[in-house]
Amino acid sequence: MVLVTAARDYINRMLQDISGMKVLILDSQTVSAVSVVYSQSELLQKEVFLVELVDSIYKSKESMSHLKAVYFLRPSSENIQHLRRQLANPRFGEYHLFFSNMLKDTQIHILADSDEQEVVQQVQEFYADFVAVEPYHFTLNIPSNHLYMLPAVVDPSSLQHFCDRVVDGIAAVFLALKRRPVIRYQRTSDIAKRIAQETAKLMYQQESGLFDFRRTEISPLLLILDRRDDPVTPLLNQWTYQAMVHELIGIQDNKVDLRSIGDFPKDQQEVVLSSEQDTFFKANMYENFGDIGMNIKRMVDEFQQVAKSNQSIQTIEDMARFVENYPEYKKMHGNVSKHVTLVTEMSKMVEERKLMLVSETEQELACNGGQGAAFEAVTNLLNNENVSDIDRLRLVMLYALRYEKDSPVQLMQLFNKLASRSAKYKPGLVQFLLKQAGVDKRTGDLYGNRDFMNIARNMARGLKGVENVYTQHQPLLFQTMESIIKGRLRDVDYPFLGNHFQQGRPQDVIIFIVGGTTYEESRSVALENANNSGIRFILGGSVILNSKRYAMNHYKLFLILGV
Amino acid sequence: MATRNRTLIYKRYRDALKTVRVPTSTSPLQSSGKSSCSGPVIELVNSSLLNPNRNYAPLSTEDPGNSRGAVTVGLPPAWVDVSEEIATNVQRARTKMAELARAHAKALMPSFGDGKEDQHAIESLTQEITNILKRSEKRLQQLSAAGPSEDSNVRKNVQRSLATDLQNLSMELRKKQSTYLKRLRQQKEGQDGVDLEMNLNGGRSIMEDDDLDDMVFNEHQMAKLKKSEAFTVEREREIQQVVESVNELAQIMKDLSVLVIDQGTIVDRIDYNIQNVATTVDEGLKQLQKAERTQKKGGMVMCATVLVIMCFVMLVLLILKEIIF
Repeated sequence: MVLVTAARDYINRMLQDISGMKVLILDSQTVSAVSVVYSQSELLQKEVFLVELVDSIYKSKESMSHLKAVYFLRPSSENIQHLRRQLANPRFGEYHLFFSNMLKDTQIHILADSDEQEVVQQVQEFYADFVAVEPYHFTLNIPSNHLYMLPAVVDPSSLQHFCDRVVDGIAAVFLALKRRPVIRYQRTSDIAKRIAQETAKLMYQQESGLFDFRRTEISPLLLILDRRDDPVTPLLNQWTYQAMVHELIGIQDNKVDLRSIGDFPKDQQEVVLSSEQDTFFKANMYENFGDIGMNIKRMVDEFQQVAKSNQSIQTIEDMARFVENYPEYKKMHGNVSKHVTLVTEMSKMVEERKLMLVSETEQELACNGGQGAAFEAVTNLLNNENVSDIDRLRLVMLYALRYEKDSPVQLMQLFNKLASRSAKYKPGLVQFLLKQAGVDKRTGDLYGNRDFMNIARNMARGLKGVENVYTQHQPLLFQTMESIIKGRLRDVDYPFLGNHFQQGRPQDVIIFIVGGTTYEESRSVALENANNSGIRFILGGSVILNSKRYAMNHYKLFLILGV
Repeated sequence: MATRNRTLIYKRYRDALKTVRVPTSTSPLQSSGKSSCSGPVIELVNSSLLNPNRNYAPLSTEDPGNSRGAVTVGLPPAWVDVSEEIATNVQRARTKMAELARAHAKALMPSFGDGKEDQHAIESLTQEITNILKRSEKRLQQLSAAGPSEDSNVRKNVQRSLATDLQNLSMELRKKQSTYLKRLRQQKEGQDGVDLEMNLNGGRSIMEDDDLDDMVFNEHQMAKLKKSEAFTVEREREIQQVVESVNELAQIMKDLSVLVIDQGTIVDRIDYNIQNVATTVDEGLKQLQKAERTQKKGGMVMCATVLVIMCFVMLVLLILKEIIF
């Protein structure tokens, strides 16, 4: 409950001391941060009767001075400008300003200057500058995520902007948890190192007073990784509920927009998938597609029983009971139809795109050996008419990542075949991926073929056979977490920053992946946390990726750099 | 969770800037007065009334509109009175529910008397609460407003919040009633050892002895018969009451269910509601613009202009006629 509780506490504190009717004004980033942890009905209970975006509040000029305005914004220059204009012509009775991160003195000055009518009652910093999608998983929803791969010389100001946003987000998480961490970063990644250094500077030098919390025996660990160290996980097709929905349809801030895949009745066009509010989802979000099918069938049967008993009303007591239970019944009905719709649509997509076939080959490419067989399988799928373009691109990317050094002739053949099938995926695109995330650039042992221990482990696994071919892949993050638990995370690969040092194992570890996380990884983290190993992991990233977004990141960068 | 309060620095800056700022001739009120105020504005010059931390600003002898340190508090629009009335009703209903709970408990306790006064009290309380709920629910409908505007969104949200409260109260009342009746029934059954349950379908007769058909009723049995009859009548009355209250409750719940937000659905998401606000306001604007255009293009305007032109032409001709002839 950690991240979600922290964000909720901030919002509760914002609203509790202000009496009377309130209007809550957010910006496009804080609206995500607030919406995932707080519901509209809870706002109504706190007497917040209007919620608006700060940039659309100009549209109406009516004065509503019986309302008190509570602003919750990021301290960006655009927001300060908006505030300036609104304070100069105040529409509301009182103004209470809350910022999700640290304000600069100049910004306070600008605000004080424009507040001629002295309507501002308080100015506070409440550090809810992250989107807590799950209790142990947060994201920052950074718009131009592909910038993390940009070399510094190309566009230094955009890169600085990106780094600043990441540092702000990480700082906010630690302020919300009231801890100051020891920082380690991935050696081979420049941007990870840069972010680590800037975070350390902020926490230990610039705002050391703010971060000076009561020191516990063991500091938490902040580990900054680069997405390019594990390019395989985002490219794979997923078969566990939450990851699968995100891969096939797309989840944004725990909401699923079904309008992109078909026509639905108005109340099913957008649905909410939140483990905090939906007990069925909480129980099934990490389960396999097959198991989900069975569980949904059971849920539908239960619901049909309830519906049947509602229809047979024979006594007064039955009637009374029906009226009493109607809200529950309505809620159950909504929930059942939501899950049934999702699973039905996903089944359709699996069938259309022949994803079972594609995914089998993907998992082989990610986990097992056999270059020859892999080449044949990929070629066959490229020739298969039913396979969609994005799936073809994924297969070639996965093959290239695995066998980039073996048989370059065959690799070239695949590139050309891909380009002939889908014109916009020029051969350069996959080569570009290799340049970014190829074997020379990676730190971790992605395929378990470097370290002797890993090779042995893989052989053992191959002999034992796998439970489910489609979910045999474990993200690299899993191995990293295991190393941390055993206290064997290598200093050579993940050095400590500067003079930081940690004796023994940390109890809290926050892993931030620059470039984005995936739901497969957050599942790994949640399952690891459930094991009660004594270490609590929290995962965060700049965005939450699926294969389309990941490929699109590379594509955008490919176009920018004109390779 | 860590927070940082910047109010002190902010106020210091603000006060410092106030002293160096050149006082402008136009009052800030007049510039904001261009926005249509929805009601009369009360000017509070003595700001120390509102906020004890503020410095006392001396009353200026000039026009109140020019004073700087003043806070304008507008009178809330009229519908706020309706919402406050409903809120006080809800509060009253809550206190009465507490009373009802006490009356239920008292009636269930074994007592020497008949218990008729308790019954009356319970009935009247229940009736009162139901009336309050019905009245509030009717008033709630008055809060709906037409047209997309910020004010209408506020009203809609106030409506939703009150509807949730009313629905919760109705459900609570219903639960209390049903538990009370159940306990009462258990008590009564315990007293007589007679199974008093009646089904709508069944109509099982209370007297199960079939061989009473040709038996002579002795006195003991006559007394028993009379007692059962009395209970039957009372049972019917109770059932009638329950039916009525269930009906009323069903009606209230049906009306409220359109207003109440289902928790956990998309409608309960803040970002969804913001999007909708934006789209409805945009659409409203578009509709208004379209209406304006159609009005401008309207045939009426054309006719009117043509007529006016004709009038002018005729007038000119008339004058010319007068001059020439």
